[in-house]
Amino acid sequence: MITMNKVSKHYGSFQVLADCTTQVHKGEVIVVCGPSGSGKSTLIKCVNGLEPFQSGEIIVNGVSVGDPKTNLSKLRSTVGMVFQNFELFPHMSIIDNLAIAQTKVLGRTQEQAREKGFKLLDRVGLRAQAEKYPGQLSGGQQQRVAIARALAMDPICMLFDEPTSALDPEMVNEVLDVMTELAQEGMTMMCVTHEMGFAKRVASRVIFMDQGRIVEDDSKEAFFEHARSERAQQFLAKILHH
Amino acid sequence: MGYNWNWGIFLQPTATGDDTYLGWMFYGFKMTIALSLSAWLIALALGAVVGVLRTVPNKWLSGLATAYVEIFRNIPLLVQLFLWYFVMPELLPEALGNAFKQTNPIMQQFVASMVCLALFTSARVAEQVRSGINSLPPGQKNAGLAMGFTLPQTYRYVMLPMAVRLIVPPLTSEFLNIFKNSAVCSTIGLLELAAQGRQLVDYTAQPYESFIAVTIAYLLINVVVMSGMRWVEEHVRVPGYLGGK
Repeated sequence: MITMNKVSKHYGSFQVLADCTTQVHKGEVIVVCGPSGSGKSTLIKCVNGLEPFQSGEIIVNGVSVGDPKTNLSKLRSTVGMVFQNFELFPHMSIIDNLAIAQTKVLGRTQEQAREKGFKLLDRVGLRAQAEKYPGQLSGGQQQRVAIARALAMDPICMLFDEPTSALDPEMVNEVLDVMTELAQEGMTMMCVTHEMGFAKRVASRVIFMDQGRIVEDDSKEAFFEHARSERAQQFLAKILHH
Repeated sequence: MGYNWNWGIFLQPTATGDDTYLGWMFYGFKMTIALSLSAWLIALALGAVVGVLRTVPNKWLSGLATAYVEIFRNIPLLVQLFLWYFVMPELLPEALGNAFKQTNPIMQQFVASMVCLALFTSARVAEQVRSGINSLPPGQKNAGLAMGFTLPQTYRYVMLPMAVRLIVPPLTSEFLNIFKNSAVCSTIGLLELAAQGRQLVDYTAQPYESFIAVTIAYLLINVVVMSGMRWVEEHVRVPGYLGGK
């Protein structure tokens, strides 16, 4: 579903991504982890073209992301994305947040869009908040809305960019629960996260990045039990300690 | 101090006999309002476009918009007014320039003043629009694009609605400025409020009354604009955000 082949990106002489190659198959859940500044977020933002890259290629569902002829808006409407800071549209009610792209991008009617929106809000347990505004919800609730908003577009895969990093610890689980459920339903997912419990539960594979390179790309069992690189071992030793 | 106050002067017929002095004041008041409001509408529309262009990724468009802002913001208003009134008609294609010069002189003064105030203010509005857009969290643009919106759609549905709300207070002060700046147009002979004040002094030798009346008229405009903009501010406030309910 997603193929990356020797993707590289640099700002001036600073290498952000170096020859990143990997594949995500339909139904797989890939957890991307690594120290900060290792290029994880940049990597998944390249998948839907939010970050340009200088060389290599990324193919999403048969479409080349880096090709200037590609209709990026169309591609992006099929790839859901959830951000660290939720990024709901603050001037719209929750249900409008879910409906707007359905009507303006997919051409659904307002009724269809709202109906779909209400269904998804039900699913993330926030139907009662439909008429409120993002600023009136807690961080965890906002992130669940953001997931529902992405799902409203019927995406073929979902990208998560540190979806729980900006949350109070109490609210992390409500978001991870929604993500776990989604994974169990067979959604193809690429998640940048430090939640190793989540990775152990649902990941098909774990990608470990350091200094813009994919250092490990292995099944979760192999990664957690015997990471090959020293850098990954150090990383795991530090974050699994607590 | 030996000054003869005479508030009754306003009700006396003017030296030319066609109106009262209050009538003259009222004419100037209407002129100031018509000039400022029409220039404001143009400034808002142009300023919004130029301000947006300053933030787009295309270097040519944003460079052009930057040049526009720098030109109109950095030449003194008075100089711009003289350029529009005295120089521009000469630079126009001859037929158009002559047509302009043959219209009613009041119309000539009004149009030159309106264009001048509108463009000067549009550059300032553009800066407010740009700063509003730039003060949004950077993730908002990405969120819009990630939903499949095109860049224009992202501006239209995601960025501008919030940016405009953020800049209501600075826009209020630009709106007030345009009324105050309109007084500069008296220098090319347009009989707006300040010019009528001076004319009253010349005809009645009652400077205190004349300019107190002018001051009150400007204050009145100020109060109306402020309360109008406050009403706007309260009605576009987003619940749960920036002091909203």
